[in-house]
Amino acid sequence: MILMEHVPIILIALPIIFGALTIFFRSRSALQKALNIGVFSFLLLLSMVLLFHVWENGILVYEVGQWGKYGILLVADLLGAGMVVLSSLISLMAMIYATDYMDRKALDSTFFPLFNLMVAGLNGIFLTGDIFNMFVFFEVLVLSSCGLIVLTGRGDHTKMADKLEAIFKYLILNMVSIILMLVAIASLYATVGTLNMADIAVRIAFLADAQALPWHIHVIAMMFIVVFGYKAALFPLHFWLADVHPSAPAPIHAMLSGMVIKVGVYGILRVHYLMFSDALFMLQPILIFLSLITIAVGATSAIGQYDLKRLLAYSSVSQIGYVLLGVGMGTAYALTAAIVYLVNHAIAKSMLFLATGETLYHAGTKDMRKMGGFASSAPFLCTIFLIGSMSIAGLPPAGGFFAKFLLFDAGLSAQFYIPIAIALIFAIFTLFYLFRTWLTIFWGGVKSQKSGRSHTRNPTPAIKFALSMLACVVIFIGVYPEPLIVLSNTIAGQLLDPQPYITAVLERGVR
Amino acid sequence: MTTLIARTVSKACLPIIILFSVSLLLAGHDNPGGGFIGGVMFATAVSLMYVVFGLNYIEALYNNNWDKWFGIGLLVASLTGIGAMLFGYNFLRSMSIYATLPLVGSTKIISTTFFDIGVYLVVIGGLLYIFKSMGEDK
Repeated sequence: MILMEHVPIILIALPIIFGALTIFFRSRSALQKALNIGVFSFLLLLSMVLLFHVWENGILVYEVGQWGKYGILLVADLLGAGMVVLSSLISLMAMIYATDYMDRKALDSTFFPLFNLMVAGLNGIFLTGDIFNMFVFFEVLVLSSCGLIVLTGRGDHTKMADKLEAIFKYLILNMVSIILMLVAIASLYATVGTLNMADIAVRIAFLADAQALPWHIHVIAMMFIVVFGYKAALFPLHFWLADVHPSAPAPIHAMLSGMVIKVGVYGILRVHYLMFSDALFMLQPILIFLSLITIAVGATSAIGQYDLKRLLAYSSVSQIGYVLLGVGMGTAYALTAAIVYLVNHAIAKSMLFLATGETLYHAGTKDMRKMGGFASSAPFLCTIFLIGSMSIAGLPPAGGFFAKFLLFDAGLSAQFYIPIAIALIFAIFTLFYLFRTWLTIFWGGVKSQKSGRSHTRNPTPAIKFALSMLACVVIFIGVYPEPLIVLSNTIAGQLLDPQPYITAVLERGVR
Repeated sequence: MTTLIARTVSKACLPIIILFSVSLLLAGHDNPGGGFIGGVMFATAVSLMYVVFGLNYIEALYNNNWDKWFGIGLLVASLTGIGAMLFGYNFLRSMSIYATLPLVGSTKIISTTFFDIGVYLVVIGGLLYIFKSMGEDK
């Protein structure tokens, strides 16, 4: 089918075109909302078509500009296409939510263009087959998300000065990590002479077979761990997240914590499992060690928080540790578990953040100690928050149960007894801090000292729709996880044996 | 307030810088130059005016929404890519023809130029939008 092969580029080009178009419709809010929800629904549909196509027909390779064998490629394999489906789902829901949540001023100025560009950056990272292009899309993602963090929504009680401070940290520290990535890419290019990821994998494997692998390949692999670990908030590099993410308005917070930190996990899965498979034996213990500390630090920091958004941000740090634990264990079963965990955490956490935004609007404050008894005034939010907490904590009817079960089972079957024991202890911490939060906010007596800014209005239909769709997906994963597990298992198989990817990229017919 | 010398010299420089930036833009696909560097040069010319004459004075003469330039540029650049798809090629596939134009003579017309013009406008719009918002007191 001729149109099918253009789908990867459309997934990137369409948000860019609409990012440009929405600049011209700035003052026309109704048109903007309809247009953007339409575009994001179309992107979700398109990404699902792409995933089914890749599942049926194998990896899809697209040459941008038709420069022949050495041009820039987009490669849609199961991992990339699956991540695009996930990000399209979350961005659609965040967009539907944001149309009612964001301030009029934000909607009229930069929200829609920047959101479109951010989605273009995400899709580009997941679909590119070229390491330098991945760097470029990282930049697109970072710059557009910076602009989005300063915008304000109605449940957003962060002062502008705090936001600007957070942006400054985010921007400067991200630039450091991105320069590190550039140095790593440059050293890699100087060593193997290509930027195509499949080609790099072949050449590194060739050098390793000839016993001529230069020692600095290992250093480059470490540098990529630092870069992606920074994105994913791995332990020594997690410090920025709890300042930056809570400053963002709820839909952007959901995108950042739901999708953008998963970009780091995706990068490790893609770059290290494809290109540096010879250095993995050295990196895996480091990853396991750091992810365990990440779990511990995130969970213990979350317990001490009374600011709801900060608590959930630390919870994200802790949960990303579980995903990276699965990535670090590195067996096919553990990778399957890590991917299931990633998908579940992305959906459940973004749902929880969206619900949080509405809860904070309802409460008129962001201090948990001043909230209480919202179960009677906001029963819908109470239910959504409960489903989200159950999923993150890993209780059965929600998707998190299977994610945690698979991860621990994978660890035990690969004989990682001590890491799994530590992870299990901090899983109980997760259960504790999430349910303590839920009980504090929604149960108990109604606190009388409302600051006069509280809003009793129930969520609007658009917000209810977005939240209940995400809740349905979470419950669906929990009740019928079979398709997700089969898909993740296939992805894990492809990651551990990258030969089909390399063959699809390097031995295709040149048009 | 800047001196008379600065004002006179920058007035004289403005058309030269802008012409040079356009020549860089049009040379981009074969020679050193291109949309990005041309756009940066154009933006420096305009920001020179902002610095020398002051934001308010320039805005009274010619008030511009630079973000519109950004949007138009992004649209032009991405539609160049889509345009190649309409002809049955892949995104951003470039195409060139030789044509005889009046005044210029035989010229190579290449679709990359349109992409470069898009980049040019994006760079001008982005840089000057940031520059102007930094200069305004809000």
